[in-house]
Amino acid sequence: MRLHRRSVLSATAAALGSFAIGRLANAADPVFVGVSGPLTGPNAQYGAQWKDSFDLALDELNPTAAHPVRYIFEDSQSDPRQSVAIAQKFVNDPRIIMELGDFSSPASMAASPIYQRARLVQFGFTNSHPDFTKGGDYMWSSSISQAEEQPQLAEYAITGLGKRRLGVIHLNTDWGVTSKNLFVAAAQAKGAAVTAAEGFLPNERDFRSTLVRIRDSNPDCIVLIAYYADAATIVRQIRTMALPQAIVAVSSVYSPKLIELGGEAVNGVHCSTTFFPGEQRAEVQRFVTAFKAKFNRDPDTFNATAYDTMVLVSTLVNRYGTTRPAIRQGIAEVRGVPSVIFGTIQFDPETRRVAGARYKRLVVRDGQFQLFEGGTPS
Amino acid sequence: MNAWFDYTVNGFVIGNIYALLAVGLALIYGVANLVNFAHGSVYVVGAYVGWAAITYLGTPLPLTILCVVIVSALVGVGIERIGLRPLHGSSRIAPLLATIGITLVLDQIVQLIFSPDPRAVPMQVPEWRIPLGGGTIGALDLLIAGIGLVSAVVLYGFLRFTKLGWAVRATAQDSDAALQMGVDINKVNMAVFAIASALGGLSGLLVGMYYNQISPAMSFEATLKGIVALIIGGLGNVPGAIAGSLILGLTESYGIALFGTSYRNLFAFVVLIAMLVWRPNGLFAGRRSLPPEPMTGTFITRSRPLKVPRWAVVAIIVVAALLPLTGHPYLLQIGANSLLYAMLALSLTLVAGTVGQISLGHAALLAIGGYASGLLALDGGWPVALAMPAAGLITAALGTALVFPAFRLTGHYVSIATLGIGEIVSLVILNWTGLTHGAIGLGGIPPLEIFGYDFGSVESTYWLSLVVLVLLALLQVRLLNSHLGRSWRAIRDDSVAARSYGVVGDRYKALAFGYGGFAAGISGAITAHIYSYINHETFSASISILALTMVILGGLGNVLGAVLGATLLIALPEAFRDLAEYRILIYGVVLLLLIRFRPQGLLGTV
Amino acid sequence: MAAFLEVRGLQKHFGGVTAVADALFDLREGELLSIIGPNGAGKTTLFNLISGLDAPDAGSVHFLGQDITRAAPERLARLGMARTFQHGRVFGNLSVLDNVLVGAHTRLRAVKPAVPVVGPLLEFALAAVRPAAVKAEEAALRDDAMRILSLFGERLLPRLDHPAFSLSYANRRRVEIARALALHPKLLLLDEPTAGMNPTETAEMQEVVHDLKRSGLTILLIEHKLEMVMRLSDRIIVMDDGRRIAEGLPQAVRNDPAVIEAYLGHRETGGAQQEAVP
Repeated sequence: MRLHRRSVLSATAAALGSFAIGRLANAADPVFVGVSGPLTGPNAQYGAQWKDSFDLALDELNPTAAHPVRYIFEDSQSDPRQSVAIAQKFVNDPRIIMELGDFSSPASMAASPIYQRARLVQFGFTNSHPDFTKGGDYMWSSSISQAEEQPQLAEYAITGLGKRRLGVIHLNTDWGVTSKNLFVAAAQAKGAAVTAAEGFLPNERDFRSTLVRIRDSNPDCIVLIAYYADAATIVRQIRTMALPQAIVAVSSVYSPKLIELGGEAVNGVHCSTTFFPGEQRAEVQRFVTAFKAKFNRDPDTFNATAYDTMVLVSTLVNRYGTTRPAIRQGIAEVRGVPSVIFGTIQFDPETRRVAGARYKRLVVRDGQFQLFEGGTPS
Repeated sequence: MNAWFDYTVNGFVIGNIYALLAVGLALIYGVANLVNFAHGSVYVVGAYVGWAAITYLGTPLPLTILCVVIVSALVGVGIERIGLRPLHGSSRIAPLLATIGITLVLDQIVQLIFSPDPRAVPMQVPEWRIPLGGGTIGALDLLIAGIGLVSAVVLYGFLRFTKLGWAVRATAQDSDAALQMGVDINKVNMAVFAIASALGGLSGLLVGMYYNQISPAMSFEATLKGIVALIIGGLGNVPGAIAGSLILGLTESYGIALFGTSYRNLFAFVVLIAMLVWRPNGLFAGRRSLPPEPMTGTFITRSRPLKVPRWAVVAIIVVAALLPLTGHPYLLQIGANSLLYAMLALSLTLVAGTVGQISLGHAALLAIGGYASGLLALDGGWPVALAMPAAGLITAALGTALVFPAFRLTGHYVSIATLGIGEIVSLVILNWTGLTHGAIGLGGIPPLEIFGYDFGSVESTYWLSLVVLVLLALLQVRLLNSHLGRSWRAIRDDSVAARSYGVVGDRYKALAFGYGGFAAGISGAITAHIYSYINHETFSASISILALTMVILGGLGNVLGAVLGATLLIALPEAFRDLAEYRILIYGVVLLLLIRFRPQGLLGTV
Repeated sequence: MAAFLEVRGLQKHFGGVTAVADALFDLREGELLSIIGPNGAGKTTLFNLISGLDAPDAGSVHFLGQDITRAAPERLARLGMARTFQHGRVFGNLSVLDNVLVGAHTRLRAVKPAVPVVGPLLEFALAAVRPAAVKAEEAALRDDAMRILSLFGERLLPRLDHPAFSLSYANRRRVEIARALALHPKLLLLDEPTAGMNPTETAEMQEVVHDLKRSGLTILLIEHKLEMVMRLSDRIIVMDDGRRIAEGLPQAVRNDPAVIEAYLGHRETGGAQQEAVP
């Protein structure tokens, strides 16, 4: 009885599926990707940024593409409980050939077993957690690898600014701790000393006592592994304590918001970044101009990453086909996808991540991010 | 040596900020006997009103302050109208839960209007700074301290020398007597909420300027720190609240000095629990008196539970068991989520409903269960089939041991203690890197597999969860019908009378927390194996609030009600995905409406 | 031989107020001793000190030869001391029958093992598995509870399944007494059992207490209705301002000038002064 019932159901599903595929075979019909990300809750701003960039990319690409791409955005609030339900929705929606997100690594990784089981590519483009792509061969990411960024940052502080004693303040999350560990290893390998490493909790606002600890470890440079909002607060308090050390920060502080929230205090902060609107490279300028025209503000790294992602999706669909297996095959093989962050994207089939982000060295001067041309740190 | 001076100054500076929050909380507690969880929301509202006034109207500081004070006072009046006045005469915990509902609503409204992205608040205070030790003190530090002190003095004067102040104090001492003496309690409460909220809103503005940053997310943290400071100083004691805030600030600062930044909150919460256990009336109060004799149990709403016939229950189970045959994996995933949350709700309905210990930290039990099972399977190499029940037992033992010191507490104190214990569990997981992998979390947790059979598919997950839930629920019903159920409910209704009849509170609370810990631990364990990755934030404090809403929705102590509440609150938001933006807002409104109009829940309290 | 209950020099102060000053009395087995006095005389505080709900500042209490000063109420319940409360403390959401069964709690075999961890776990297992012996015990307790409830005639029997909060005031008091009796107490402390009752109900209650006394139960009674006190008591202690101002046989106390003075001096308080000075 049960078998009978199930076979009827699966036959229906198959019929529906073939119907869908039949429709998709028509070139003008769009193909769908599912997006699982936060539109409400504490991370809602990131979901909104994704949407802006996705729309921008699709506005540019779809009119001329053989297979226009559409996305279905489900709000997960970056909550694992909801991302697993969304995953079931996506894997059982035959229209969806690829999944993007979730924003936070815990939410993504909770859903990974479902995508892996269903053989649907999960593209966690913000998931820097080292274990994310270990979830299976359908987990891919273009998130900037901290294994690559942190040595760059150490390089900036040590050879770029000539600092030898580094005091680290890092966010105490999976991302912050991974980054800190990689940074410490890289710095020590380059012969510098890490005098202290202090981990703070999200939502913390008071860093005075943390800074006393850092100060008393006697560094010549303070390294921030934080997002822009926390970084702005920390730098302001560094200034009120009149600590003279140079400040170097990871790329995640790069945002116009850092200057808005930090005010004058953030002048002189150094940071590395993979995205800088002032960069003259053609992909960057085209993106920045288009983004400004559409939204009347400067894009930030999250916008750039999301834009790159949708460009990648469109490329995969149009180069490799509109089925899930085609996407899986394509993402491993694809070469030379234009990218704001990386120049061009190609994946390492072993790690399922992208290598070769282009790092720029920036410094804040007069309330503006500028390329750091060397010389004495301000 | 110099450093210790700096740590001390820093402790005072941050304590100073906590004090502004704690004073308002203390005032409200002093008069209305209510820990106002919405205080942090008023703080956020104040901050955003100030921001809007400066940004859109270009108001100078005195006018900005006036705007903030007026709007915040009005919000305070609203809180009193919604969260306190209509609930007079209902259960003691109702106003506290109402303030939680209000905080969900207010925070969400602020977030909808202003987005969660942090904003800068233009500084309107002169930026000169005085060097002090290795750091500096700014004008704003002095202004905050000044406002804290002045408000304490003004409050003192108001309470001592004005007629309304006398009325407030009379109400604080004995509201029934005050009522009989012709004091208009509503007016008094309204005045107090207005004053306290004005203060709360003002502190939001000043702290926003202080850090040049405001965001809706700062509400919970503010409430939490304010409450800790309040407990240290003694509930309802305004000067005590200021002292408590400074002590909290110093504790945190010295904690950082000794152990490092990531231990800061751990320190704060350990101090909270220590205070609750050893000096529940605060450092500055000595009196301990017997709780007043209730006429009957007033802890939960009196009601006659809806009697669901046995055949209906069997039918529900059969339908639930057949659900996978419809072949909707998405539906099943939501079903599995509901079942897992139902286990948590079962646990909480026993602890909060049957025994009357309103726990605000129940998600910690999920975390313990998830980590125990994950670690046993991952690092211990145990088969999943053994790791999960073991995790249930570990959660039962550990959960009970953690709450044990709080068993002597009652009412609001239990809620605050469990809230603190929940935070402690999360912070210990974060900091005990050697055992728990710290912030990196547990990745690669093996999937559900029981004696070689793969339970990884959504159908199997669902069926497994259903079987476990049905077994747990049946066992719970059986226990409730035994002398244990009777004893638990007796403790809830009147712990003093129960003791006089030999019902040892500690023993039965421990049994309830033990069984509840087991159920929640199993739920956490299954979840961990489904997710394959968990970290210290997977089971966050918001889950505790959600679980409590489920339990109240179903009816406190009601086993079937807990399952119903969990199913509704997990399934409905999925059904209304289009309303995603308003989901938390709706939770808050549902909670408020329930407390106000159907406090006994859908199926009635047992 | 030591007295059944021996109270020596009990003192309790609240802030600057002396609630009980130097209470001293003996209670013999089978005796009914009443404590009377105007409101605020410290009677209920004295009860709380004896029954372990409050700790005395000084003095001692011995019960059945054991020192029970500052003993936990749970222990006193196990020793066979049961009490009722002045304002009523029934378990509002429990049914009438369950209220009475809670009274029998200390008699359950499952709750006896006091070994930490093992005892509770054993109790838990018995409640979950419920072997025949446990079922039989529960059934016996139920029969006993029904017998006790029938002491109040038809007042409670038709309401066995009603939650206690739905009962009338008088019925709640009856439930409290039934609950106390279910403990099978050796000593019963009654705190104003007839408060709020009308004359008919009071007369009924008086009859019940009288029967209990006749059955040999030792009773310590606080009561305002002096008529009842005079009828029932073997001896009476009169308290005022935390002090014992008189003690003796009912007739002697009734005519004691100090007692009359105390009651007259408190004319504005209490509800029974008229009865005190006939």
